Amino acid sequence: MAAGIPARLLPAGLRRRLGRARLRDPAYGFLFEPGPENEAVSFDCETTGLDPRRDDIVALAALRIRGNRLLTSERFQAVVRPQAAMARQAIRVHGLREADVVEGRRIEDVVPEFLRFVGGRTLVGYYLEFDVRMIDKTLRPLLGIGLPNPCVEVSALYYDRKYGDAPAGATIDLSFAAILRDLDIPALDRHDAFNDALMTAMMYLKLRDLKDRGIRIRRDGHPADRHMPMG
Amino acid sequence: MAGIFDRSDPPFDRLTDDEAAALEAALDIGYFRPGEIVIAQGRPAEALCIVIKGAVEERDGDETVALLGPKDCFDSRALVQGEAAHGFVAREETLCHMLPREIALRLIRDNPRFAAFFYLALSQKLDAIAREDEAGSAGTLMQARVSDLRLHPASFIGSDATIEQAGHLMRAIDSNALFVRDGARTGVITGMNLSKAVVLTRQPISAPVGRLAHYDVVSVRPDDFVYAALILMTKTNKRRVAVHDGSDYVGFLEDIELLSFLSGNAQLVAGRIDRAAGLPDLAAAARQIEEQVRLLRRQGVKVEVIAEIVSDLNRRLFARTFALTAPAEIQTQGCLIVMGSEGRGEQTMRTDQDNALILRAPADPAALDAFRRDFTAALEGFGFPPCPGEVMVRNPVWSRTLEEYRAAFRQWAAIPDETAHMNVAIFYDASAVAGDASLLDAAKAALAEDLGIGGEAGRGSAYMAHFARATEAFPMPIGFFNNLLTPDGQGDAVDLKKGGIFPIVHGVRSLALERGLTETGTAARIERLAERGAFSPAFARDLTQSLFLLMTMRLDAQLGAIKGALVRPADLSSVERDLLREAFHVVKQFREIVRRHFNLGMF
Repeated sequence: MAAGIPARLLPAGLRRRLGRARLRDPAYGFLFEPGPENEAVSFDCETTGLDPRRDDIVALAALRIRGNRLLTSERFQAVVRPQAAMARQAIRVHGLREADVVEGRRIEDVVPEFLRFVGGRTLVGYYLEFDVRMIDKTLRPLLGIGLPNPCVEVSALYYDRKYGDAPAGATIDLSFAAILRDLDIPALDRHDAFNDALMTAMMYLKLRDLKDRGIRIRRDGHPADRHMPMG
Repeated sequence: MAGIFDRSDPPFDRLTDDEAAALEAALDIGYFRPGEIVIAQGRPAEALCIVIKGAVEERDGDETVALLGPKDCFDSRALVQGEAAHGFVAREETLCHMLPREIALRLIRDNPRFAAFFYLALSQKLDAIAREDEAGSAGTLMQARVSDLRLHPASFIGSDATIEQAGHLMRAIDSNALFVRDGARTGVITGMNLSKAVVLTRQPISAPVGRLAHYDVVSVRPDDFVYAALILMTKTNKRRVAVHDGSDYVGFLEDIELLSFLSGNAQLVAGRIDRAAGLPDLAAAARQIEEQVRLLRRQGVKVEVIAEIVSDLNRRLFARTFALTAPAEIQTQGCLIVMGSEGRGEQTMRTDQDNALILRAPADPAALDAFRRDFTAALEGFGFPPCPGEVMVRNPVWSRTLEEYRAAFRQWAAIPDETAHMNVAIFYDASAVAGDASLLDAAKAALAEDLGIGGEAGRGSAYMAHFARATEAFPMPIGFFNNLLTPDGQGDAVDLKKGGIFPIVHGVRSLALERGLTETGTAARIERLAERGAFSPAFARDLTQSLFLLMTMRLDAQLGAIKGALVRPADLSSVERDLLREAFHVVKQFREIVRRHFNLGMF
């Protein structure tokens, strides 16, 4: 059933059932169990280029989010030896040269570890779809499925907090730098997979909190009630 | 690649690489929304928190006692003692590193230098830092440039001038060396060259100096480092080097100036004051007192020592001015006193004049009037601004007989308004500078008697309570901590004097006056008060060190050309902020002691 329809367009419950049915290796059934309550995983990949069909992962990092804690002490980090040649453009972005990744591990070994780290937790990322597709590329031949986890896109949370009530025609900036600035999150060296995952996780916590408290980000750059006295 | 945790921030810079790696591996990050409790008062702390972004209030009950910003750590006391003495609450959205308690305690146990930062009482912590400061002071000294030193100005003489003319010129300009112009070239001739020529080679004093000068002049440039000049002098075995600014010679640098720069030259200034033949000589010496402060501080000399040296020099200056302006009758029958911070010996940078004259008996009115005018004007000429409240010798209210003072004391006792309290305060701090010091002793004894204090217990307690109230005149400078919040750190600066120095000085003064102590310095009073059981010796140490810390920061702010006693949080390192916070904690405890002692709650 549903042949030809990309799984990600199906309702989440249906997608999970479908995925579970397609799963080749029952040892990975944990992916379909709900993760520990209140936990999520922020993750980021660095790649040889921007085409998921041709390019490969060279670095993968993830960290768990438990409640309002970022468990940086339990991080997942791996350097991967890619099969695709490194695009010069990509080297300039993440600074990993061929020589740096030649000692890396095989993606087929890294992804199962990554899956165990993630379990059934929600995934958090920035332009997450790209990273998920990069993982799925390895996952499908291995298990017959893509990542079944629920996903939270921080740029979407940000859009909602900042531009959800914007008049039509407003200039919209969803860049990583703009989000960092608006949320006053420390700007770490970018395009290091772990730093990116960490900054993304901080964005997630803050955006989730702003949403809980019903606070919008002013389009001149600050959360709207920043200067209100607090109770 | 730079991660989010910066191990070069104190106190983490004291960790070994292995320790820092272990710490980083154990760190988590916590996010706290505004109003969320990070550590609850009276509860154990599970982690040491280091603020990444945001602001955290430190609270004692409902009262905010401090505000913590990025790079600040809390709460080591809760970690070590098992429960938090204060609560910690996020003021805005805040991100913190969270170091688990076991790891933090292990690092504290294993690394004494790291532990020192968290564990020790303020006084010990300051000592530890002072030692590091002293170790570093040679470094700052070595950054000084030749132009920072006192140079002997260049004087030029023609090569056909005679030995005699050169000798006279040297004496006239008080220099031991001259530049000699000989056509296009320039040489140097020294006093020693002249003496040798006359004594050893029997040249007539009419011989031209051109042939005696040497033309292989060793020179440095004004922007050369002092240490380079020192090395050059050592290498070439010269006692002076010429200073050349690229277009011409501008002066000589003498080894004596270099040595006094390295060691401070307070003795030289003292000698100049004592030898001064007239007011112009004193004016020159007075200017050098100000230079001493900068010099001594740059050499890392402790603020209490600087205050002692400066007070000594100022008092010499006043005494010498007194000797030069007062008629003999006033000198023998009077006592010149300095009051306020000058009297306590706690002045570093120059403040307003606070001086007075006590006479044994009425003096000749005309002579007294002339002296009043001359003395105050002389000090003003030396750069001591007149006192806005006219607490100066030129004001007849502050230069009169002991009997007349006595009448004033009774009035201060009878009408205890703010002016009376201020007068009592500054007079109680007075020190005799010149003349008959027994007059001041008699006056202070009379003051205590008239106020009904220092005698049997209970008397004068109502007066003292009113007097001590000023300790609470200014609110604790919580505003200071607020300033950490402004994104650019450019908020209002904190007034160290009102917020810290004044409450200590006045609280101590109140306790000391009540007991009739005769010490004038705040540190000496604190020590004596501890002996009398007003508070513990340990608290006395913390109180004294807090005072010195605040004075140091104030002095540094003043030297940094910032007007007054204001310090901008943004200008402080996180260690300094931490120390300042602790000092304010001590001030707060002390205010509590004073409040309880004088029952100030009744107001």
